[in-house]
This record gives sequence, structure tokens and C-alpha cells, in this order.
Amino acid sequence: MLALHRVGIRPRMRWRELVLLLVVAIALTTGWASLQSFRSSQLEVGDAWLLATYLGALATIHLGFVITGRRMDQILFPAAALLGGLSVLIMHRLPQDLAVQSIAGRVLELGPLQLLWVLLGFGVMAATAILVRSDGWLRRYKYTWAALGIVLLLLVFLFGEVTGGARLTLTIGPISGQPSELLKVILVVFLAGYLAENRWLLATSSTSVGPFKLPPLPYLLPMLAMWGLALAIVIVQRDLGAALLYFLVFLSLLYVATRRASYVVLGLLLFVGGGAVLYQLFPHVQDRINVWINPFVDPQGSGYQIIRALYAYGRGGILGTGLGAGLPQVGAVPSIPAIHTDFIFAALAEEMGMLGALAILGLYVVIAERGFRIAATAADDFRALLATGLTLVVVVQAAIICGGNLRVVPLTGITLPLISYGGSSLLVNGAVIGLLLALSDRAVEPPPPGARAGVARRLGQRVRRAGGKFEEAIS
Amino acid sequence: MSLTGARLAGPLRRLRIGLRPRMNVPQALPSIPVPGARVAPPHIASSLLRLALALAVGYSALATGLMYWQVVEAQRLTSDPLNPLVISAARQAPRGSIYDRSGVVLARNLSSGGAERLREYPYVVAAPVVGYRSSVFGTAGLERTYDAQLTGLVSLRPGDELLRKFRDQPYNPSDLYLSLDIELQEAAAAALGDQHGAAVAIEPGTGRVLALVSSPTFNPNRIVARQGGRRYMNTLRERDDSPLLNRATQGLYVPGSVFKIVTAIAGLGSGAISPQTTYENQPHEYQTGFLVEGFRVRDFPRRVQRDHPLDFYEATEVSSNIWFAHAGLDVGAENLVSWAQRLGFGDRIPFELPTSPSQVTNGDGPLAGFRDRVELANAAYGQAEALVTPLQMALVAGTIANDGLLMHPKLVDELRASDGSVSRLAPQAWLQVLPAGQAGVIGDAMQLAVEGRYGREFAGAAKVPGVPTAGKSGTAELGGDAAPHSWFIGYAPADAPQIAIAVIVEGGGAGAQRAVPMGGQLMSRYLDSIR
Amino acid sequence: MDVFTLGLWALRIAFVVLIYVFFVFVARALWQDLRAGVAGAGRPLARLHVIGAPEGRPSPGTSIPLDAVNSLGRDVNNSIVVDDSFVSAEHALLTFRGRAWYVEDRGSTNGTWLNGQRVEGLLPLGYGDEIQVGQVRMRLERARQE
Repeated sequence: MLALHRVGIRPRMRWRELVLLLVVAIALTTGWASLQSFRSSQLEVGDAWLLATYLGALATIHLGFVITGRRMDQILFPAAALLGGLSVLIMHRLPQDLAVQSIAGRVLELGPLQLLWVLLGFGVMAATAILVRSDGWLRRYKYTWAALGIVLLLLVFLFGEVTGGARLTLTIGPISGQPSELLKVILVVFLAGYLAENRWLLATSSTSVGPFKLPPLPYLLPMLAMWGLALAIVIVQRDLGAALLYFLVFLSLLYVATRRASYVVLGLLLFVGGGAVLYQLFPHVQDRINVWINPFVDPQGSGYQIIRALYAYGRGGILGTGLGAGLPQVGAVPSIPAIHTDFIFAALAEEMGMLGALAILGLYVVIAERGFRIAATAADDFRALLATGLTLVVVVQAAIICGGNLRVVPLTGITLPLISYGGSSLLVNGAVIGLLLALSDRAVEPPPPGARAGVARRLGQRVRRAGGKFEEAIS
Repeated sequence: MSLTGARLAGPLRRLRIGLRPRMNVPQALPSIPVPGARVAPPHIASSLLRLALALAVGYSALATGLMYWQVVEAQRLTSDPLNPLVISAARQAPRGSIYDRSGVVLARNLSSGGAERLREYPYVVAAPVVGYRSSVFGTAGLERTYDAQLTGLVSLRPGDELLRKFRDQPYNPSDLYLSLDIELQEAAAAALGDQHGAAVAIEPGTGRVLALVSSPTFNPNRIVARQGGRRYMNTLRERDDSPLLNRATQGLYVPGSVFKIVTAIAGLGSGAISPQTTYENQPHEYQTGFLVEGFRVRDFPRRVQRDHPLDFYEATEVSSNIWFAHAGLDVGAENLVSWAQRLGFGDRIPFELPTSPSQVTNGDGPLAGFRDRVELANAAYGQAEALVTPLQMALVAGTIANDGLLMHPKLVDELRASDGSVSRLAPQAWLQVLPAGQAGVIGDAMQLAVEGRYGREFAGAAKVPGVPTAGKSGTAELGGDAAPHSWFIGYAPADAPQIAIAVIVEGGGAGAQRAVPMGGQLMSRYLDSIR
Repeated sequence: MDVFTLGLWALRIAFVVLIYVFFVFVARALWQDLRAGVAGAGRPLARLHVIGAPEGRPSPGTSIPLDAVNSLGRDVNNSIVVDDSFVSAEHALLTFRGRAWYVEDRGSTNGTWLNGQRVEGLLPLGYGDEIQVGQVRMRLERARQE
């Protein structure tokens, strides 16, 4: 144990996480059983290799966390695991021909394909959580990150293709992905670093424009430039959801760093003004907003998708139709277009009912709470801002797409984090959760007392820790 | 001892590499306030709290939206015919049938197999009422209004909705039993023949619709047919005579003299006129025309005694425009509009088929909607901007027939579900438009209009042999060379009415030419059938 | 309703219920954290044990409770007043930054010493380490477990 300790490995029980993961496992198994039973008309769990593989992966990751002894937040991973599990379940339920890819010679359909992406995403999460030990590489090279982001953006602009509406894909050789997902993380890293460094000046001094206090120009300009560039390209590429996300995250981080409400007000005014201008100039913006206001004007055309989703909610009711029993198909076409990407929330709301959908929203709230807590107890500003930004990027994105599904806000083409089908989204969100976990690690302890402490005492301390309960793990 | 330990710790610290955590030493001290130092920006934690609050508000909005769509709007959306659930449900349980009052089937499923069940409509004349159900064109008529019940998505028993999920056979289609009399419907259609027009017959005491005919109409069997449906539908849509339009409920026509009943109701009801009201200038105006602000209201020359001022009964019997113009001016614009509203004017009549609102005037003028007194005077005898649907006029006749009590029109008497449950739709009173006594006065006048010495010249052909009959004919001038519309409204027997009717023949000429005999024929036929 | 339908709906309802059970566990954890936080609010993060103070202020043997930020010096406005002739008015700063303790000198005349080493900039220290300001020696110790 002493030798391992030198290398930095110090097994530590994570009881809370274990209990939560057990609840997750039982819940997912029950859900799986309900789906299988419906399909085979008898009560059974059936051929559950998908589920078993997933649960096995969860167990492995948990074990990895335990063995490497990281003192990370114990609730984030189970919450993410539940979301991931729901994703695996619903993708197994949906018609399998919605996504087909051949990987390494084998042809995979929707269910196994999503499992693969979920496993990869969680793998990235685990690796990030365990291996990231310092934040210098994020903190020090903020302008490098910014430049990388711009390069990525330009690559998409020049070489990207639009697939399925407003989905932007960049294909390099056999690999294709959506850079806008990665871009949002890069943006957050840059903003966190920049705001942390310049927080004093941004918060205390300002230039006044009329009744509004603006941050001092030399500092605000590079930020606005980076953000404006990202937004412009994103809007021209019709990725309205990403633009909205970037904007809200930028405004939130600015507020958190400076606590100047006037910045927020100004930002919102800019948003409304900018939105009005965009509405006048761009027909695709007009379409989105008009369909949002009244989709029944063109029920077979632009309003078709959202109307189908509204039907789905009605069919679900409070309890839902049960997994597998909803989503009536007319012909071979699923009842909602893009059901496995844009409208996965509606599908879940129909089959799991209002109670189930509220629970899914609740999971994102849990992630928000954990993320904000990590930010509030962070050692310094950069980590606090980084944690805030990472949390927002997941939670605000979820809110935007669920809002679009529910017709609370206009529909946008972004994914539901950890649930929607899509490799890029899962990988990036996995990295985000992993980074949050790394940030929450409090493994750095003051060095143990010197030679005064006897061997026996040290052993005793270790035994106590190894057999520790909740209180030990959470302090 | 501690010093030794510290000295050992120093070199050891430098040796720590690899997976051992590196301690990050922040260069600046931005957030931790130093006592006595300059003021730092507030700690991040407090701003985070506010941000968390904003996020909570956002998510609450989402939860509210969820509850709205899954609870509040759920029923309505589930019954929407475009909902895939409705479409797939239709394939699972056999759709309910539609029957007339005697159990004659008006719509049923063809017994042929296959995934799609075709609908069969044995009586084309019932098309304006029954409509059609096509997988390509959707639904129309009662097939649309009661789609949810015919499919079985909506249960008749309350509380069944919640339990439906748990049943094996979740769909419980119902059959519709209408108040329609298919024989009367066929007779009306035959009487109209190729002429454009409509007829609506109701039971005054209950509001039940006995016949509802629109001509020209369409053949629903050809619409739902597997072959040629699309082509047929296109033809229907392109035709100038609009066979898909239900003229009985949505056709808007100039009423002509049948509107005088409405004026009478407004007059007696508001007290502006009484049955004995006369206008002393009227015989003179018969010669010169009644001058209203430069416009001359004329009565057409008729072989009738015009040497004394007419009272209400006489004016109705001879259908005097001048008398009613006076009456309309006395009633006043506001009263005319509001009393017409009591009869159902101004809004869509609530009915199981789509309806268009009838109007007394266009409504954009300064005189309570009328442009001026000229328009008011003309509207009072059924010209100017007045536009009515045949259904509306049938309700007017029905109100008089029913002692001033207007009943809601209804087509469906009963729904019988496949599980045996029955839902009866009872007749509903709408409004006591005017007191029974005044309705009786108008009814007497209408009886004179059919049976009176002078009246029978205009509407005598409407009299049912051996039965006291009341009614009013109308000749709606359209201006120019166009032949006027031929109108008739009436009811029989006048003392204990069983049927009230409204008939219009487009361009049919004077009322007496087409609509009146048709009205009489239909009433007679119906009364024979129920004896 | 037959056994199968009953069982199927039991599974479906259990599925949703179990997700809410997850929330219950999370809520419990939050509640426990809250209680622990509140209970521990009054508890000091660590203690500074005075080993030696020739001039007697603060008295040797006392254990001073520490906050996250502690200033040491002769001036009365410091959070830890060290009344020694060789101690400057604003002498040193002892801070806890999320993970570890750090000590820095605030430009004192005689300097601050950590385990015999002069403190330049910001230096981390752990439990058992000894700091010296002026003639006063103090040792960083854990907060006592209750």
C-alpha cells in the first residue's frame, strides 16, 4: 500500500456513488424488462446483452474511480449514467434502421451504435476524470485555445457539409463529426481563463455609455470579437441552437465573473435587437419563429415536426404509454421526424409519460446542482468559472432543446446531451463531465504529519479510511 | 524533530513526479479578500446562486410546458384526425356506422379484407350530412365531427379514458344514430333536382334535423374509392358550382321577403310595432314609393287591395316592402341587429357541421353597423347587405313554430358503443327569443301568408292539404339581369307544428315558382309519413 | 386485466418510480452535506499551536483556531495579533485555498520562517509544519475531531 501511495494510487471507497449506481442499474433493468416484456408478450428480461454491456461498463468505471482513489463528486457520474442508460434503452426501442453504420467490417444499427458511442463517451469521461491532474494546460494557453477554436470554425465553414437540415459535419477521411460540439467547450475554456485573469478590471472599472456601464474596452474587445466571430459563422451556417447556447453561456459567465447586472441587461438587449434584425433578414430565422408561434398554419410542411411532437405528448399523458407501446407508425415512418436526434425528448415523454419526462429534466437539474457546487467550492476563480461554464454548456443546451420540443422556445437543431443519438455529442459531453469530475477532486491533502506519527497510527488511519462511510467520503 | 521532518520533506517534495498530484500555486490572489487590502469583486459563489435561480426559472418553464401538453391539451390533440394514433387506431378497430332515424344505414365499412377498410355510402343524397372518411383526403361532415367516437378513441363513459391504457382492446367505436329521415332527404334532393340550392327541415320542438340537402352535391363513394379518387376530388374542387360546399349550412344568400319574419320578431319583441301598427302614408307610398333619404322603396304591383293602411297581419300576408321598411326604421338599427343575434345571427351557429354566420349588415357602417337609414330600410325587407344561410332561416321558422323558443339544431340522437354503452344527446333549448304570445301573432300572420285570401297567391302552393300551414315566401332580388332566388320558410301543422322548413332555389325566380311548392311538398310528405 | 398486463404495467410504473428513488437518494446526500456543513461552520479549519513566545503574547501552549484567511502581525487589526518586538505591524498571511494551506510574508522587517526556511513568495505548508514570526514559533495542526 505504501508503494502504491507513492505512485499516487490510493484506493478509496465511494459508497455514495455505489449506492446510486445500484439504483440506476435496477431502474434500467426494470425499464428494459418492461420493453422486452411488451415486445414478447410475456414478462421477461430477454436477450439483454446491450444492457449488460452498459452496466458492466458502469461497474468498470466505478471500480476505476475507486482504485485510483480520486475524491471526486460521487453524484455526477450516476446521474450521467442514468441519462446514458435511458439513451441506450430508447435507442434500442426505436426502429433500428434510423441509423446504420458499418464499423470495422460489421454493420451496426441504431441500438448497438448508440451503445458504442455511449461507451466511448463514458470512456473519455473516465479517462479525463482520472488522468487530468492539473489545469495549467487549460489555464495558461487561453489564446491558443481561442485560435484553435477559430481554426476549427473556419474549417467547418470551408469544408463542412450540411446533413439533415442544419447539421454541420466535418469529414476528415473516415471520421466525421460535428465540430460545433467541441467548439462550445473550447469557448468555455477560453472565457474562463480570460475572465478569471481580468476579473478585477472587468468588475471594478468600466467605461460608461449612457446609463450603462460597459467593461473597459481593451478588455472587452477580444472577448466580443471571439464570441462575435463564432456567432456570425454559426448563424450563417444556420446553427441557431449553437448560437443561442454560446450567447447564453457567454452572458452567464460574464455575470458570474463580474456580478454586474448591467452587462446582462445590455446583453439581453443586444440579443433582442439582434434577433429582430436576423428575423428581418434571414428567411430561415423567420420560418423557425413563425412555426413556433403557430405551427398549424402549415401542418403538412414546416409545422409537421412540432405538431407530431405535440401529438406525442398527448398520447403519453401522465403515466406514458410504456416503453415500446407508443409512437404509432404510419407506414414505416416513425411518428416524429428526426425522432432519434432532435425529438428524442418527445419520444421519451410519450413513452414514459409526464412523470418520466419530469424526471429526465430533474436529472439535468441534479447535474446543474453538482456542477455549481463544484464551482462554488473551487480553489480559485479559473476553476470556478470553468466549472460553471462546463455545467452551463450541458444544462443550458438541454434546456434549449427541450424547450424547442415543448414549443416553449423555437425549435433548434442541437442535441439533448447524453441522450440524443450522435457520436460527437456524446464524446464531447463525456469529456465535459469528466472535466467537471476532475475539477471536483480534492485529492490534494496536506502532507501527512512527519516522523512523529508512528507506523501503527498511520496504518490505523488507513484502515479507517478504507472502511469509511459517507461522512468520510464527503467532507 | 519537526525541523528534521521538514528538511526531509523538502527534498522529498522535489522528487514527487508522475502520478503524484502537482500542487498548483495560483499566482494572483483575486478572490480571497485580504484584510485591509483593496476591495475585491464579490465572491463567485453569490453570483452562482443567482445564476442557479435563473436556471431554476427556466426549468420550471419547461416543466409547465410539459404539464400543459401532456395534461391540459392531451385530449384535444389525441382526437385530432391527423394524429398518427387516430390513423393507426382506425386500422385496428372497425369504424362505427351511421344510421338514420329508422336505422337505415348511411355509412358503413365494406367487408372486404386488407389493411385498409373502405367506407360505403349507400345514399349519396346524405353526403352533405354524413361527409366521407378517406385515408387520402381525411374526413368531412359527421365523419369528421365524430371521428374520435367512430374510431373509438374517445370513450363514452367518463373515467374510461384513464383506464383505457390498461385494457386489451383499447378502442371502443360507436355507431351514430341520426335524427335524419332519409326518405325526406331523398325527396328533397329529388325536388331540387339539378337546380342549385338547399333545404333544411327541423323538428321545431326539439331542434332535431330531419333533412339537410345541398345541391349540387358529390358522391362520397367515388372519393374514398381506391381508384380514381384523386381525379374525382380534383374535378370537384375545380368545378364552378362548388359541389363540396354545403349550401344548407354555409351558403350565404340574400334572403328577400323571408327576412321580414326577423324584422317582425325584432319589432314585436322590442315593442317598436304592434300587430295593429299602421303607417298612414302607406297607400300613398304604394303609388309613389316610400322615400327614404332619396331612395324609393317600392312594392311591386299586385292585384291586392291597397286603399287602406295595412296592419301587421295584412302586411305580412301581401308581403309589403313599404310597411316593413317603415317597421324597420321604427325598430332601429341597434334593435334589429340585437334581436337578430338572439336568433343566432352574427356568429357561427353551434352545430355538428361547420356553419357560416348569417348577417343583417356588413357591420362597418356608423349606424350600428348600417351605412345609413336607406340600408336599414332595405334590410328590413330582406335586401341590402343581409345574408343568411338556409339553416338559419329554418331556425327562424322553428322558433315561431315553437312558441318563440329557439332550440339548438342537432343531427345526432344517440351514440351506441361496441361495448354496449349508449349515450343519448338530449335536445337543448337555446333561447326564448320572444314571448309565446308574440310568436303566436307572427305565426298567425304566417298562416295568413299561406292560406289567406291574398296570401295564397304567393304561398298558397305550400299549403299541406287538410292541415293548417304557416309560412312566408321570398323573392330575393340580386340586381341586374340575374334571376332572383326563390325562398320559402314555413311550418306545419300551424297549431301543433311537427316540421319547420327552409328552402332556397338559386335563381329560381319568384318564391312562388320554385321554393314554395317544394316546401309544401316536403312538409306534406313528412306529415304523411309520421301519421 | 390479466396477469401479463398487470405485470407489464407494474414494471412500467416501477421504472419511473425507481428514477424518483434516485432523486430521493440524491436529496438525502444533499441534506447530509447541508447538515455537515452547518455543523462544521462553527468549527475551525485548523489550529495554530503556539510552541514558543518569549514575550508571552500570545501565550505559549494556546491553540488558535484558524479561518480560511488569517493575517498575522503586531497591529490590532490582524486576525491573529502577535505582540512581539521583532514582529512587524503586518507580518504574514496564512491562507487555506481549497486544498492546502499557504503562508506568505507581507514585507516584514525580520521575515517569516517556515521550518527554518525563509519564506519567499507563497509556500505551502502542512500539518506539523512550524512557522516563525519574530520570536514566536507556531505549529499548524488539524482542527480537533469532536
